Amino acid sequence: MNVLVLHFPGAKRAALFNDERLENLRRLMDMGCFGALAASGEWNVLARQENHTLSLMEYFQQADKLCVETTNPVTLREKLSVGDWDYLQYTAASYPADNWSADDYLRLDQEVGEALQELSDDTVIAILGADCFVLVSANNPISGEYSGGVAADIAPTLVQLTGFPLPSAAEGTSWVAGMELNNSSGLTADEQQILRDRLSGLGYI
Amino acid sequence: MMKKVIVIGLDGFEPKIAEAMMARSELPNLQNVREQGGYARLGTTYSAQTPVAWSTYSTGTNPGGHGIFDFLSRDPKTYLPVMALSRYEQKNAFVLPKVVNMRRGIPFWELLSARDVPSTILRVPCAYPPDPVKGRLLSGVGVPDLRGGFGTPTFYSTRKDLHADQSEKVVAVNVEGDRVATQVIGPRDPKTKSDHKFDIHIQIVKEENKIVITSQGQPDKLEVQLGKWSKWLKVRFKVGMMQSVTGIVRFNLRQIEPEFELYASPVNFETEEPLFSISHPKEYAHELAMKIGRYYTAGMAEDHDGLNLGRFDEAAYLDQCRIVMRERRRMMEFELGRFERGYFYCLYDTPDRLAHMFWRFREAGHPSNRHHGYNAEYAGAIEEHYRECDAIVGEAMKAVDDETLFIVLSDHGMNSFQRGLNLNTWLYENGFLALKPGVQPGESGDFFQNVDWDKTKAFALGLGCIFLNLKGREANGILNEEEAEQTRQGIERGLSGLVDPERGAVAVRSVSRREQIYSGPYLHEAPDLLVNFSEGYRVSWDTPLGGVPQGLFVDNHKRWGGDHVIDPALVPGVLLMNRTFRAQSPSLVDLAPTILNALGVPKNAEMEGSDLLS
Repeated sequence: MNVLVLHFPGAKRAALFNDERLENLRRLMDMGCFGALAASGEWNVLARQENHTLSLMEYFQQADKLCVETTNPVTLREKLSVGDWDYLQYTAASYPADNWSADDYLRLDQEVGEALQELSDDTVIAILGADCFVLVSANNPISGEYSGGVAADIAPTLVQLTGFPLPSAAEGTSWVAGMELNNSSGLTADEQQILRDRLSGLGYI
Repeated sequence: MMKKVIVIGLDGFEPKIAEAMMARSELPNLQNVREQGGYARLGTTYSAQTPVAWSTYSTGTNPGGHGIFDFLSRDPKTYLPVMALSRYEQKNAFVLPKVVNMRRGIPFWELLSARDVPSTILRVPCAYPPDPVKGRLLSGVGVPDLRGGFGTPTFYSTRKDLHADQSEKVVAVNVEGDRVATQVIGPRDPKTKSDHKFDIHIQIVKEENKIVITSQGQPDKLEVQLGKWSKWLKVRFKVGMMQSVTGIVRFNLRQIEPEFELYASPVNFETEEPLFSISHPKEYAHELAMKIGRYYTAGMAEDHDGLNLGRFDEAAYLDQCRIVMRERRRMMEFELGRFERGYFYCLYDTPDRLAHMFWRFREAGHPSNRHHGYNAEYAGAIEEHYRECDAIVGEAMKAVDDETLFIVLSDHGMNSFQRGLNLNTWLYENGFLALKPGVQPGESGDFFQNVDWDKTKAFALGLGCIFLNLKGREANGILNEEEAEQTRQGIERGLSGLVDPERGAVAVRSVSRREQIYSGPYLHEAPDLLVNFSEGYRVSWDTPLGGVPQGLFVDNHKRWGGDHVIDPALVPGVLLMNRTFRAQSPSLVDLAPTILNALGVPKNAEMEGSDLLS
């Protein structure tokens, strides 16, 4: 599984979650979970070991994952379209640090929409604002609004969704710890029903 | 050269019935067109089906040039039947799917647009998503309902012993006092695998034989009279915390006592915010609704399933057919009123949908009548409807002037469907299709369940299509080219002239190889063989979705007692024009060149037919 983190440090929850025009974001919110993020710890710190702070990206690097970090939207687009990454972390730098306008949120949604075009189904997507998150992954067992999360929980949650073991001394708490992750299977009876639904009403059959 | 070409399409309008009626002077407007110009039977396509035939009309090519061969096709990776008209393409799970029209080729209105000749095109099949055109286009057959299918109705009943058939939903309800609380069923949620629902509250007003439906929809209170079709109710489904979709639904109240029974149509796209665009320009569908009122947007407007499953009766179906005809006529009149030059097209689908359901009353001995009763009152229902079509043609002719080419045509005819052939069972009995060890025909469900693909040479799906299990093409293909040829020959030999032993009649006239009947860039997508049935026969109900039932021939017990998917030579359409035309074997491929030439635009190299007026 790949991990895509889109970090918009200036985006605030109140605007981000209440603007009906942000179609891409709203679709993702419906697909996964979202919520407020209390400012406890740093989202990209996975663990604090004796003399070392293990970042999320470092952890994936140690696991031989191809990791990319960028603040440049052009680089982001290039990387997405070529697809040579396992972990891609984008921190949006070309936005105001604070006091975003409505247009800034629209631009965010557009950037998110463009990024989505290039993904494979098994991607774990985290969109992070100043005080909030949206988390989407096919195997994510949590849906809807999730409350009580803190920034430090993001890294361990992402690690568990990708199926990797958590290091000892992890900073935050994985939200999916101990939960059974969703898995996808072949054509189930239910999908046959969908197919039947689509063809029914034809009359001839 | 003409300033205007006006085309009225009458889907499935059968020449034998029309000719007899014209001989009795019962279709005065059609006779008028015939006298001004001419009449001929119009050659249809292999196979004789609405989407195939109208796509050939649109592109001027045989199906090998536009890629529509049947309502259904198969996914070579899974052997599963798929809807052949359009496809949803989704790049990944995170983005919205896109609808892609599987009718390829170039429709002639594209050539008109390029030469700045405007078009008004109402309800043309296989233009979904809508073709961009100079002018206006409203999509027809191919537009799904809100659940993504051809149409899933819902039946509400207090009876506890009802079970849903495969193409409907059944909701058990309770009457509490004079109230029923229930829900309109909307699209499926792919994640939770449950249906989105919209709450409705029903108040029964027994003394007035009606109910009042109260909801958050529009209107907030909707009256439904016993036995009558209601007006449209606009409903909104919340498909997530963040998103919603709207649709329109109408009801038919079947019974208040002793059981409460209510029928709800499939939920159609609403025109203001359709889930996917159904017109070009995008806003056009809604502009039209503002002018003429809400209308059926689903490609299959008539609820033939409701009648087929006995959820309502023939009278209610006829009522609904009239509603559809009326709204289509309003569309036509409104658009003809502002039509000045170029190409105009309006399709009436109802002659086809009505004849499918009323054909059995023409034949007292039709097997369907043993199950559903025979009512002589309906023996002339198709003729009566044809008179209504004739009146519409008369209305359209008011827009005809000296510089107008006026055309009335049908895409295919209609015939009897009394007996069905279990094509997969025939393939099984003749060693072309294998079932898994220990499984017998009748123990295998649809979708080719229990078919042993490692030993199967050929399989049938759709309305008479046979595909070979070719190595390198199908997922578990086993035939090399030499074996494929033997298989083709074996099936041709065995099926051609196949006799129905119970009736002593030839059920299959011939088998066509795709190379004999198709050519062009999409030939490779065609079924390998096509079965050409005799009059009265068709593939059985179990065949299209890949069933292997017991026995070869079965009586058709369904109310759907007429059909046209037989040897195309037996089901031509009609063609009438207000100009003298070449009456010798005109066929659907000739229409595009004829219309283009009339408007002074040259045909393209792909078009196979010729101008019927020259």
